[in-house]
Amino acid sequence: MLWISLHLPRLSFESWLAVLPPEQREQPAALMGARDVLMCNPAAQRLGVRPGLQRVTALALAPQLQLGRIDAARDRQVLTSVAHVALAFTPAVCWAETSGPAAAPSTVLLQVQASLRYFGGLTPLLQRLRAALAPLNCTLQFASAPTAQGAAVLACCAGNGSDELHATDLPQLEGLLGAAPLWLIGTGRAQWAVLDSMGLGTFGALRRLPRPALQRRFGPALLDELDTVLGMRCEPPPAWITLPETFEVRIELQTRADTTDQLLHGAQLLIEPLLAWARAQQARVRRYTLFMHHERHRRQGEEVPVATELSIALAEASCDAAHLSLLLRERLAHLSLPAPTLELRLHCADVVRGSPHSAELFASARGEREGLVRLIERLQARLGAGQVQQLRPMADHRPECDAAFHAVSADAVGSASRQTGRRPSPARPAVPEPERSTAQRPVWLLDEPQRLAERQSRPLLDGQPLQLLCGPERIEAGWWDAQLAGRDYFIAQTPDGALVWLYRARLPLSVAEDAQGWFVHGRFG
Amino acid sequence: MLWRGDQMDSAVGRALPTGFATLDAQLPGGGWPRRALTELLLPHPGVGEIRLLGPCLTAIQQQGRLVMLFDPPAKLSAQALAQLGFDVAQLLVVHTRARVIPGSDSLWAFEQALKSGHVGGVLAWLPARLRADRLRRLQLAAQAHDGPAFVLRERAAQQRPTAAPLRLALCAGGADRLELKILKRRGPPLASPIVLTLPPVLSDALREQAWRRQRDTAQPAPQVVEHHAHEPSQVGSMTRSSRVEAMPLPAATFISLV
Repeated sequence: MLWISLHLPRLSFESWLAVLPPEQREQPAALMGARDVLMCNPAAQRLGVRPGLQRVTALALAPQLQLGRIDAARDRQVLTSVAHVALAFTPAVCWAETSGPAAAPSTVLLQVQASLRYFGGLTPLLQRLRAALAPLNCTLQFASAPTAQGAAVLACCAGNGSDELHATDLPQLEGLLGAAPLWLIGTGRAQWAVLDSMGLGTFGALRRLPRPALQRRFGPALLDELDTVLGMRCEPPPAWITLPETFEVRIELQTRADTTDQLLHGAQLLIEPLLAWARAQQARVRRYTLFMHHERHRRQGEEVPVATELSIALAEASCDAAHLSLLLRERLAHLSLPAPTLELRLHCADVVRGSPHSAELFASARGEREGLVRLIERLQARLGAGQVQQLRPMADHRPECDAAFHAVSADAVGSASRQTGRRPSPARPAVPEPERSTAQRPVWLLDEPQRLAERQSRPLLDGQPLQLLCGPERIEAGWWDAQLAGRDYFIAQTPDGALVWLYRARLPLSVAEDAQGWFVHGRFG
Repeated sequence: MLWRGDQMDSAVGRALPTGFATLDAQLPGGGWPRRALTELLLPHPGVGEIRLLGPCLTAIQQQGRLVMLFDPPAKLSAQALAQLGFDVAQLLVVHTRARVIPGSDSLWAFEQALKSGHVGGVLAWLPARLRADRLRRLQLAAQAHDGPAFVLRERAAQQRPTAAPLRLALCAGGADRLELKILKRRGPPLASPIVLTLPPVLSDALREQAWRRQRDTAQPAPQVVEHHAHEPSQVGSMTRSSRVEAMPLPAATFISLV
């Protein structure tokens, strides 16, 4: 049995610091307890602020000091996301027991004996675990031991600037715990005053004394816990952490956010836990929704909703933090909020399970398709979904109706290029011979046919007389939708040699006054 | 991440044949260049530019790759494109100037498509009076694009220098004929224009009639220059001027590009 423990010594401070805007994190900042400073950052330490100082003293030393409070819910969320990252490595993850019901846990335990063979040993496993936890930006201490409580204690006592402690078997564990202070375990902390006054501050000191005397003096609980830590007593099965079915997390920002950068910074703090939750199930995110809550006092008397909703759906499910935040940035740029927001909430219930395709070294059709899908998603996110269009030919003789433009959906393009692949299609010639059954149509069609002046019964385009070459092609269609078009089309040549497509009404007297005469409808490009 | 050892890279760096032998003979590499911008200057849309680029773009579509058009000047006709051999399922049209987005410019979409490297061919109609550094940036982005990148601009841009390595001026030379002047290429300058016969719109008889009429009435028709096919498969034949049977260079030091 091998347990790894992850201890976060500065959990409360770092979870508060993450909520601040990036430019304020370098300023002096300190976490306050009831009346005194608990932790501070290097910028505050340079000004003389130390843990344990009174609040007024700290403010006198550093007037611009930013003060924060412990928020148990926020700490719990950070710890949960660390646990979710750990769940990608082993299914057996639990919290370390805390000394009392009021104290919040700050250590995550992983049982990795069954995963060692897959990852190739403890050292590669720890390396990958560190790499996976890096995006969360927390200070972590690692330790490993044959027992769960032993690993938890080792992680806590490794924090005084020393290297990580890893114990491979029980005697080594006992040796490493020799100098560990007793207030790291629950019963030790409860009786710490008595133990310390007797000079029994460490595990080693307690082990050297006879057991019946200790049991009479301190009660059986202390010895039981000591035996559990050192592996001489069975520990009860812990409560394993399970993944929730849907992902829901909320965060309260330090300052009101109403610009894209501030919103993006706040949303980034939610995307990393989302990806940790998705990766723990070997899944990728397909769709998530960001809710931006507005404050109650701003909502009174105006048409401001409780929360503004932004839903982001991906054509291709992905677990890439950079791609998700890029799409979010583009969509946030178009969003206009009715009021500033202080609280953000992320909800996700739509994931795709299964491993993604392998990456390739050389470009291939599938890699190109995925790249195209991402490109079209980006273009549609910035320009709008209707600006990236595809033609669809319609069966209509009227030239202005022979094609419909519709907004392309990214996965439709992906599937089209997947079908054709890289094989050249054999049956289609490069340029077909002109079919005499249907006459040539011009590539460019004007949105509205432009009326032409006439001189000596020849139409004029930009003052130049046109020479009719070919025609008439009679197109009469559209009797079914009140846009009857009865036209005779001619191909004409301008003096500089370009070809244009003109028409005039077939029955001039049956159309209105402004529809008689020559109209230019297209150019042969 | 898994890489299979039997994957081969597709050969890149060859020019794409234009579909016109006389033009292939005059272009460096024997065709449209890849990974670089090709600038086409037109007096107005509709001189035959789509029929000029048609063989190259349809060949790209037949390989299963996508062709994207950015800001076409008018509506496209699906039937005309089908007659030229295009596959409308492999064609995308992007309108970048429909909405003004603060903080970005209309060339962002074109640059993204070039940089992604997954699009087969791009065709962009650039706004008038473009700054030279914007074009330079597009040329740098085009180096990531494995395929031809055509930018179409107005004729007045001829007076300003360009970062594109190939620059052509198009104008209509009669019915179904296109007159091409190569203003800039990687090689010796070409003094006289090339006249190409495009995929025809008119029947043969009508076309002859139109040419005859134009010759009689308007200014003299441009001189039809026939170039024998040099070995077009030889890459870099343009740089060795001794190989080219073109006109002798003019005596002046400065080459006029008009």
